[in-house]
Formats: sequence, structure tokens, C-alpha cells
Amino acid sequence: MTTRTLFIGMDGATFRILDDLTNGGGGKPPVMPFLSRIYVQGVRGKLRSTPNPLTPPAWVSMMTGKSPGNHGIFDFIRAEERGDDVFFTLYDSRDNRAETIWAIASRQGKSVAVLNFPFTAPPQKDLKGFMVPGFVPWRHLRRNTIPGNLYDRLKTLPEFNPKELAWDFEKEKQSITVLSDEDRENWIRYHLPRERQWFSIAEYLLLEEAPDLMAIMFDGIDKLQHQAWLFLDPAFQAGEVGEYHHRMRQLCMDYFRQLDGFVEKLVDAAGPDVQLFMASDHGFTTTYEVLRINAYLHKKGYLDWKLMPDTEEAARREDSMFANLDWKNTTAYCRTPSSNGIHIRVARNPGEMGIRPEDYDVFREQLIRDLEDLRDPKTNERIITRIFKREEVFPGPAMEDAPDLLLVLRDCGFVSIKNKEPVVEQRKEVAGTHHPDGVFFAYGKGIKQGDIVERRNITDMGATLLYSLGLKVPGDFEGQVPESIFTKQHLAKNPVVMGAAATTFQTKIEDSVDMSEEDQNKIIAQLRMLGYME
Amino acid sequence: MVAFTIKAIDVMAIEKTIVEIIEDLIQDWGLVLDERISAHTRLVADLEFASVDVIQMCVAIEQHYGHKMGFQDLLMKNGSYVSDLSITQISDFLTGRI
Repeated sequence: MTTRTLFIGMDGATFRILDDLTNGGGGKPPVMPFLSRIYVQGVRGKLRSTPNPLTPPAWVSMMTGKSPGNHGIFDFIRAEERGDDVFFTLYDSRDNRAETIWAIASRQGKSVAVLNFPFTAPPQKDLKGFMVPGFVPWRHLRRNTIPGNLYDRLKTLPEFNPKELAWDFEKEKQSITVLSDEDRENWIRYHLPRERQWFSIAEYLLLEEAPDLMAIMFDGIDKLQHQAWLFLDPAFQAGEVGEYHHRMRQLCMDYFRQLDGFVEKLVDAAGPDVQLFMASDHGFTTTYEVLRINAYLHKKGYLDWKLMPDTEEAARREDSMFANLDWKNTTAYCRTPSSNGIHIRVARNPGEMGIRPEDYDVFREQLIRDLEDLRDPKTNERIITRIFKREEVFPGPAMEDAPDLLLVLRDCGFVSIKNKEPVVEQRKEVAGTHHPDGVFFAYGKGIKQGDIVERRNITDMGATLLYSLGLKVPGDFEGQVPESIFTKQHLAKNPVVMGAAATTFQTKIEDSVDMSEEDQNKIIAQLRMLGYME
Repeated sequence: MVAFTIKAIDVMAIEKTIVEIIEDLIQDWGLVLDERISAHTRLVADLEFASVDVIQMCVAIEQHYGHKMGFQDLLMKNGSYVSDLSITQISDFLTGRI
């Protein structure tokens, strides 16, 4: 038994950084020599992310071959309006309406190992293979790890440490409030052993179990790039830099050097016949300004802030920015910074608050015009360069849960929802933010060599992985197999075949568990650390 | 009387299930407990639950029974989140929903 397909997810990876790290220059070896080899001996191309290039919808699209309007995951946090308050809860795997490729492969007899992918918890119990989900605190890893004996097996690994492996909400909460130079340095150091933990599990399962499909996601790239973009982007490396900048740069290089070694070792462990695919859920770029979208909507009369008492608890709620609107006087608002979207409140039933359903189209058009009017006073350039109606970007049965409008900012940044002026402000220091173009690589048996192919869509990855496993591509997949990455001989021997539709699920959102304020604050702290909040 | 007896049995069975779920949940936490988990055990005061642990417990219970329970009705009272819960409170809540 050998592993046929190896998939390595690289959260947030972008050619802007990888091109630099695979090019030695000046007689120096490249930071990522194995990836350099893949540049020459494999195929690469850009991968277009979901309309809002964000981890939750993007990875779920990668895993399901479907767009967010069909799988129903739009953000980290799902909000539920209830009378004069709004409650927040985390999305989990049960909110995903589309069957994952792990399940599709599994029910057709292929064994899978799935490590650190978000929104895979709670896991599907009858999966044929192994799953250790991402975005789960260490105290709950055992229960969310399958099969039941895997966690105890992992505990026998010499360096296994669940506290290093899993998301540490407390640690990130502590380090969030003041991001000093020291905090930022520690944040990067934190991810070096964490990635090693995940690598060790993947290597162990490859050698011991050789699943047909091994899939692992390394999320440190995204986290580094949010916090350390200044030390990574080649544009900021010219000229004299200080000792701290130099040290941070070297630390980031250590991270990528280590990651490159992990990829090489996993390919070696998978064996000579493996097909390797690597992909990111989105790319990265530079954000240089802050747009406080709810402050702008307030100015335009769409929302009102909730008056809060001068207490510590009120200050925390104010900082959380979620439930501080005066809902009786709010018709349009942004729920979360990571959504980059605006929800319109529509009174669909007697007693509900919001605009009348028959006024929706006129109201939305006026809202769009107001958003278009937000311009840079110096250049007259629009701050919000594109405004999508949800039916344009989120068509499908889950569209009702999507924001009514999706905003694209001129620097690709995420909005702020703080009650603060001015509406648009330059950042004191540039930061990393998501770009819609991520990366994909293919390498190994049956893959062309040295080609750069046309940009593909993130939904193509699911189809590609199933094809690599020798399976039919479900007929209702939106993604397609990028045939141009395979050799003619391989395609002649292994034609792409379409099959029956994948399974879809209904979710009962109204029955879900609400988050406490403390939970909300933890998640908010996490999101802020990742750069989704001001 | 008969109805009361059946209800009492239901609650006891649910309590037993909840205790088992929580014992499974906390087995790796390294807690030193003075006594076994019982109906009177409180999640925060006795088992050092953080709120994220409460959420995970709710998911575990829903997975066990195979459907969602609307736990917001248990976790929120008069617009505020409850500060702690006993096993009895959880099983009483579930009695009408299973």
C-alpha cells in the first residue's frame, strides 16, 4: 500500500514571497531549495480564491469543490439576529452543506488522513482513515480526533505535545492587546514548533499507514504574513534595516526553511509514485490604510451606536464591536471585519425590525451609491473599489446567510467596524492582508515539468485531488480538473471522468449553540491577531 | 405518581450520560478532583471549564443524541450568560428535548 496523493495546504502562501525564497541570488542558496526544485520539475500557477478571500469559505471551497453560496460557510463567526440583539457563534463542520472530498473519497474505499484543516470538527465518525481537525483547543483534540485510538497513538510519539499542536486561544488572547516588538517576535517563534508537531503526525501516518490521500495544512504562513509582512515582502527589504528588522527577517526565513524541509520529507515518505499538490486558500499583499465601515454607515444614517455605560464590562463589549448597535435605528451594518460585507436588515415578519421587503432593491441601490461615494479626498479615488451584490458572488441555496453586499477595498484590506474617527486612516505601519490570488503547485508522477499554467479556481483543487486518487469527479462540483498540468500520456491513460453528484446537507442554524461573551472575546482576539480587526 | 417515576428515571439516565460525556471530555486535562463527578458537580467551579469548553461540551452532547438542542436557552438567562452550570441543570434542560 502506497500513498497516491499528497496534498499540502499552505494557508496564505503567495508567489510574491515564494518567488523570493526560491531564488537564491548573490551566490546564496535559496531559503526553500526543495520548492525551487518543484518550480523546475513541477507545475505552478495562481489560484483564485473565493469572492471574499478568507480562510473559512476558501478552505471549505477547496474541500468541497463548491463555492460559498453552495457550502454555506462565509466567515469564522455566524451571527443570528434576535429581536433587539445579535448573537454570535462559531461555524463548525455541521454548518457545511456540501460533502467534503475526504468523505467522497472515503465512501469509495480510499483511505484518507486529514490534518489541521479548519471546519472539519466535529469530524465525520465513519471516515475511512484519520482526522485531526484544526481550529480546536488542545483540551478537545482527543474527542475530535478519529479514529478513537489515534490520539493515544499520537501520544506515543516522542515529541507529541497537544498544547503546541492545537490552537491556543488563551495564548493568543494574552498576546493580542499590546503587540510589542517582543510579542511579535514570540508570535513567530511560537509557530516553528507548532508546524513541527503537525509535520511529525503527517510523517508518522505516512510511514505507518500510507493512506491513499494524505492532506495536511500548515497555517503558520498566514499568521506570519499578517504580523511580519514588513519583514517578508521584498519591497520592504531594500536599504538599511535595523537590528530588530534583521532578526525578524531571519526568524521568518527559519520558518520557511523549516517548512521547505517538511515538504521534502513528506514527499520522500510518500514514496516515488506520489503526486504532490500544494495550494493556498488566498494570497497576500500590503494593506496601508484602515476603513471604519460602520463609522461611515453611521455618518450616512444607516446605523446608530448603542449607548453604553462607563464600565469595564461595557468597554469590553465596545471593543468587541459586535453587539453595540442600536438595532432599532440600524438598517445596514457590517457584522464582522473578516466578512468585508454589509447586511441589510429586512423586516420580513410582523414585529421584526428593518426596511420593508418591497423597499429592498431601491434601498440597496442607494446604499451602493453611498459606498461608491467614499473617496480619497486627495486623489478622488474610490476607497471601496468593487461592491458586489450577493447574488453576483454567492449564488446558491446558502445565499440567504451571506452578506447583502461584499466590499473590495482598494488595498484589499479588511474593514474595521469600530466606532472611531476618521473613517479612513493610514496605518502607522503597513501590514499583510489577503489577496485573491493564492498559489498552487503540482509535482510528481504524470505531472508536466517547469510549466506555469493559467490561473485556476480554488474549487478546482477538490476535483483535482479526487482525480489524482483515480476517482470520478462529482457531477455537481463547480471545480474542474486542470488537465493542462498533467502529461498527455497520463491523461490518455487516466481520462477525467465525471460521476454522480456529491451529497448535500441541510443545516438547522436556528438550533445552534450561542457563544458567551468570553468566547466571543477570545475569537475576536484571535481574529485581531490575524489582522482581521483593527 | 407513575409519570413522576418515569421522569425521575429519565433524568437519572440523562445524568449518567452527561457524566460519561464529561468524564470523556476532561480525561486529558490533568484535573485533580476531590470527588467523582455527580449531579451536583459544577462545570466552572469544580471542573475548571472555560466557556469554550462549555461550547465543546454542548457539541459533544448534541453529537451523542444526534441532533441540536438549542443550548442557548440553557446558557442564557434574562439576556445574560449564566456563570456556571451543574450536571443536574444540564440534564433537567435535556429532559424535555430528547
